[in-house]
Amino acid sequence: MKVSAYPAFTVTAFLSRLVYRNQVWSGVFGELVATFAFIAVWTAAFSGSRNVDGVTLPDMVTYVLIAGPLLNWNTTRYIREVGDSIRNGDVTVFLLKPLHYPALLFFNQLGNNAFEQLTITLPVAVIVALTVGLLPPASPAHGLLFLAFWAVSWCMLFLIATLTGLLAFWLLTAFSLEWFLRGIMALASGAVVPLWFMPGALAALLGHLPFAWVSYYPSAVYLGKLDAPTSGVYLLIGLSWLAALAALAGWLWSRARHRLVVQGG
Amino acid sequence: MLRTLRLLPHLIGIHVRTHMEYRSALVIGWIAQAVGYGGMYASIALIINRFENLGGWTWPQMALLLAFHLLAYAVGACISFVQFRDMEEKIRFGTFDAILVKPIGPWTFLAFSGLNIEYGGHIALAIGLMIWALLSLDLPWTPGLALYFAAAVASAAMLVAALMTMIGATALIWVRSRHLFAIFFGFWELARYPLNIFPAPLQILMITFAPLGFLAFIPCAVVLGKPVPILGDLAPAASLLIGPLFVILAAAHWRWCLRNYQGAGG
Repeated sequence: MKVSAYPAFTVTAFLSRLVYRNQVWSGVFGELVATFAFIAVWTAAFSGSRNVDGVTLPDMVTYVLIAGPLLNWNTTRYIREVGDSIRNGDVTVFLLKPLHYPALLFFNQLGNNAFEQLTITLPVAVIVALTVGLLPPASPAHGLLFLAFWAVSWCMLFLIATLTGLLAFWLLTAFSLEWFLRGIMALASGAVVPLWFMPGALAALLGHLPFAWVSYYPSAVYLGKLDAPTSGVYLLIGLSWLAALAALAGWLWSRARHRLVVQGG
Repeated sequence: MLRTLRLLPHLIGIHVRTHMEYRSALVIGWIAQAVGYGGMYASIALIINRFENLGGWTWPQMALLLAFHLLAYAVGACISFVQFRDMEEKIRFGTFDAILVKPIGPWTFLAFSGLNIEYGGHIALAIGLMIWALLSLDLPWTPGLALYFAAAVASAAMLVAALMTMIGATALIWVRSRHLFAIFFGFWELARYPLNIFPAPLQILMITFAPLGFLAFIPCAVVLGKPVPILGDLAPAASLLIGPLFVILAAAHWRWCLRNYQGAGG
């Protein structure tokens, strides 16, 4: 199947989400509540302090929005869909077609993500900007670097979630895998607590694992907590992690498709 | 009534046996869910480690709040969440109609035939964290305080089960109600933090129309001797009454929805 045909899956995924409109307002509500909860948590934590370790409360409000709804690390829906398709046998439909299943998942997720960014993240960002206020990028260079980090973040999350989902070919369920990943991401991605507030040894360890490129590094670059040359270095490290995870996913997929045991369908 | 009570162990037993067929998956699921919550709790601990407290709550106090929140939720949700989350499918596919003709009340059948033992990981983590928190806090225990603590957990669990029943019952009329769970879990997420860190309108909301402030914050504040916004001295009694009150409301709502149910599939 030609690569040029895959974007059609992105469009289909986007349009199919339009059918379930009631999920949009409940999604906006859920994200708004979670965002304002974390803003309240940081407001309470900063009580009385204008600046902690060179970080201000407006920095943290912006961090909450970028690391939360924008770079949304919650992969529950995606991993459960992959797991269900393996468990109930739907995956065989894709294996019979002349397409590459992980590529199909990639373009599908792109459509889902575009839908969520437009219908959920954008309204939440506008509401937060109007009520609490958001900071612009630290500089135009940081803004441009952030766009590159955003792309790396999305690909990194996709690969981590896909690797997790593909393990369901062996375990026949993605339920437990998804919960394990949820716990790891909450801590290691830096989405809840930025690495700059963690103890030094823990921050050093997590700062070298791929999870940090999902939430922490893009947000830190946007806020100017890393200078441009350092950001460039971390972008290269992130790209190296992406290449390694993509190779691992390719290897796992080559093993998984020969191992399929369909339980139903 | 007695006949129904005699049936319950059999209903639960059948469901537990089906889960036990996949024993390893069940145990791995418990561990995975504990890790899932553990990641978030570790993040909250890191915030408090850096800032010393959150809204005046130290880490052992926050650990008690988180443990109470998880335990009350798990106990309430094991007889309600999955069962009533899936109500709209049962209604659309017509399988709920088959439940209606069984010689047992439909709520009782749904709740107990689907008793979810997958919450074992939640309960184990909650109890472990709670024991650590209570040992760290050195509370002035009396029989009255111990009784209040146990009753408050039961009341909060009843509140969870009642709210989930009300959401599920709404599907009998609207056919769809799953999106309402997103609203429930929005407030549920807020309920794991001290209520006093939120703006006053949200505090009022969490005590009145979306009463998940009673899920953990109010009972824990009472036990720790912390001030409870809005309720003040009424907090201990209110936290014990809220569960039974919502059970009565949920029962009335469930019966009204059943009376007006017209089917949607089959």
